[in-house]
Amino acid sequence: MPGGSRREGSLERGLRPQTPPKPPARFRGPGPGGPDLHRGAHWPAGPQRCPWLTRAVSPAVPVYNGVIFLFVLANFSMATFMDPGVFPRADEDEDKEDDFRAPLYKNVDVRGIQVRMKWCATCHFYRPPRCSHCSVCDNCVEDFDHHCPWVNNCIGRRNYRYFFLFLLSLSAHMVGVVAFGLVYVLNHAEGLGAAHTAITMAVMCVAGLFFIPVIGLTGFHVVLVTRGRTTNEQVTGKFRGGVNPFTRGCCGNVEHVLCSPLAPRYVVEPPRLPLASKGSLDRPDEKPLDLGPPLPPEIEAGTFSSGLQTSRPGSAESALSVQRTSPPTPAMYKFRPAFPTGPKAPFCGPGEQVPGPDSLTLGDDSIRSLDFVSEPSLDLPDYGPGGLHSTYPPSPPLSASDAFSGALRSLSLKASSRRGGDHVALQPLRSEGGPPTPHRSIFAPHALPNRNGSLSYDSLLNPGSPSGHACPAHPTVGVAAYHSPYLHPGATGDPPRPLPRSFSPVLGPRPREPSPVRYDNLSRTIMASIQERKDREERERLLRSQADSLFGDSGVYDAPSSYSLQQASVLSEGPRGPVLRYGSRDDLVAGPGFGGARNPALQTSLSSLSSSVSRAPRTSSSSLQADQASSNAPGPRPSSGSHRSPARQGLPSPPGTPHSPSYAGPKAVAFIHTDLPEPPPSLAMQRAHPQLKTPPSKLNGQSPGLARLGPATGPPGPSASPTRHTLVKKVSGVGGTTYEISV
Amino acid sequence: MAPISPRLCVYLSKVHNLQELRRSASLATKVFIQRDYSDGTICQFQTKFPPELDSRIERQLFEETVKTLNGFYAEAEKIGGSSYLEGCLACATAYFIFLCMETHYEKVLKKISRYIQEQNEKIFAPRGLLLTDPVERGMRVVSFWAVLCEGTGLPTSRDPGEAARKQGLHSRFSREPPHSNGP
Repeated sequence: MPGGSRREGSLERGLRPQTPPKPPARFRGPGPGGPDLHRGAHWPAGPQRCPWLTRAVSPAVPVYNGVIFLFVLANFSMATFMDPGVFPRADEDEDKEDDFRAPLYKNVDVRGIQVRMKWCATCHFYRPPRCSHCSVCDNCVEDFDHHCPWVNNCIGRRNYRYFFLFLLSLSAHMVGVVAFGLVYVLNHAEGLGAAHTAITMAVMCVAGLFFIPVIGLTGFHVVLVTRGRTTNEQVTGKFRGGVNPFTRGCCGNVEHVLCSPLAPRYVVEPPRLPLASKGSLDRPDEKPLDLGPPLPPEIEAGTFSSGLQTSRPGSAESALSVQRTSPPTPAMYKFRPAFPTGPKAPFCGPGEQVPGPDSLTLGDDSIRSLDFVSEPSLDLPDYGPGGLHSTYPPSPPLSASDAFSGALRSLSLKASSRRGGDHVALQPLRSEGGPPTPHRSIFAPHALPNRNGSLSYDSLLNPGSPSGHACPAHPTVGVAAYHSPYLHPGATGDPPRPLPRSFSPVLGPRPREPSPVRYDNLSRTIMASIQERKDREERERLLRSQADSLFGDSGVYDAPSSYSLQQASVLSEGPRGPVLRYGSRDDLVAGPGFGGARNPALQTSLSSLSSSVSRAPRTSSSSLQADQASSNAPGPRPSSGSHRSPARQGLPSPPGTPHSPSYAGPKAVAFIHTDLPEPPPSLAMQRAHPQLKTPPSKLNGQSPGLARLGPATGPPGPSASPTRHTLVKKVSGVGGTTYEISV
Repeated sequence: MAPISPRLCVYLSKVHNLQELRRSASLATKVFIQRDYSDGTICQFQTKFPPELDSRIERQLFEETVKTLNGFYAEAEKIGGSSYLEGCLACATAYFIFLCMETHYEKVLKKISRYIQEQNEKIFAPRGLLLTDPVERGMRVVSFWAVLCEGTGLPTSRDPGEAARKQGLHSRFSREPPHSNGP
């Protein structure tokens, strides 16, 4: 029928399938008439709906949808690729002032409320308030919110706004899709079997499926924004029942989130080496080289000595580049501990690998040639032709390894949670050609527990499901090519060249082998004593295995020195009750048997252990001397044997070496016991981490185990309260800081 | 005021670039001024005078420097008209504007680094001190380097080779970027 049709008329006509709706008079535009409509009817869901909707409802419909979609995409990209506010690793010179008596925690007064700053063993500074260490990215992130596996990035100060807007816009987009689809379907109800209607319904179903979690997440974050809390704080219950010192009032909080200026990047990425970037894209199988367990020393030696450009995969470079905090200072190239710290250590490996001054000069020249100037917040500038991201210009060229591994992780998470098989199908694509290194197992479906997801919203939305997954390979994962952040590639004498920027600051380093120890900046004597303690622990372990201890696993003491110390680097939370871990690596290692409540305790204990241990060299000397001054306990002690027994044991060991490491163990035990709410009776472990099985109880048992020099004295009973054998003396330091010294 | 060694004087007279000074400084003690979190997470540094600088710099000068820095950072983080506009513009252009434009914070950071360089040249270098830009350390600390020549006997860093390896601790914002922003 000719024009003059009213809008209602067209709608009515639309309800009669045999008569295509005439465009309302005022919408008669360039494409009137039947043929166009018929043509449009054969388009797939969106495009075919749009013409109808344009004519039937409003021409603003496609415009609105387009704008919303663009908005979603832009915010998603910003949330994904933007540096969340990563803190660079502290130079060694900075924590030199923290001597052996430096405490694990420092209190600061924030608007009248005491806030505790924890020492980050990975980054070597006291974490600012609201800062947290993301174990997935292995960085301390400012105003850490969570690590989102959906965007495979930490959400922190710089990109929280974009993440929040992404959620809002995605929710609006989904609402729009469902609503318009509904309008279309209702108006074509007679022909539900028609192709376009069916497709529309399918689209609506998919959108509706994701509708609930996305809306839920959006609502959650709206609440967080109005309250001025981060996800981290909310989930860990930091301000439960208390006052949030960081809130600015509801309006102030919203304003702060939406309107505050974009914070600068702290970590400057050196320009990416095109070859490396391409290599990382084209040769994903190279990644395992870096990520395999034996790799770190080799990486450090090999990558820096030769052919870095070609062979260094994204993780190595990324590890390096992400660790490159500031222009190389002397501290960056300082002595590294004598024994391999593993790639996880932010500092390089053995001291002999420290480059000489000339190579440093070279390195520095190359670094100075790098662009350390401010970059647009899109982190775009110096990125080489990252083919992977050529479609999105502003995005930094993520190394394929990083991008894909992260994507795979997230995808595997999704697969494990409930996502479609298309995600799982992606994995073979990405990991093709990759040797089955331990880190690859990360990408296996369900390999990555939703510990990562526990921080993500998978767990928040499905609290029961995520924690069951274990990542057997996690402990070995991703340490890979984590050489010292401070070792410049030019340091080995290579001609100065821009560092491959295959590492994206937003993605973080590749998964790495857990570093056995993180005594990066300790002196050789301490290293030696630590080594001695490790030897002793090995002996204990052997003895325990002979003794057929209650706990069964003889590798108990392996972990504390290695795994728990790894925990130190990955753990970001203080001791809390049931907390959801945010993608912490220890969660991944924790294994399937770990419940959500256990893991926090475990993490807490391990973190305490590791933190205690890692800070032990700093704290133990005075207490050690006090300890040594007291009388020795004769022989091995029963289970309630105190923390002192290891120290006693340490005494007969090679004299002259400071026993701080040995002391650290029991002290760590003491810390563990104080911190743990209740040691989980049994924790299923995966793979080769039996030591994680019952760390608390093992720590319990470690006391007697430590005390045992000879044959085991039988099943070590859980020490009643080995806890506070360590007396803590509070000493006021400079500036009113209170130091807790273990006496 | 600690006596400035003749070598340092000569050196200072020859060195125009503070980075070269840093690079060539053989030994240095470092004093770190931590953040002041009493007002929340806004960027503020403690104005408490560190005793290590007692002999090197006047208390008032120090406080004035730190307060100026605090003022700069407060200006950078201020939520006001310019930040609104910036946000809206960024939103409207799907954040492509960040490719072309420097954010307000970055502008202020450049101003800060110029200020620090100026202070170093005029005030601190004559006193044998160097002020570092906190942005290099993630804005967690401001550090004063007491630059000394060898043989002064003052406590130094643990690693004797550190000074030899001191390299470009330059401010990110104090130089022309070799690479321009953008692809």
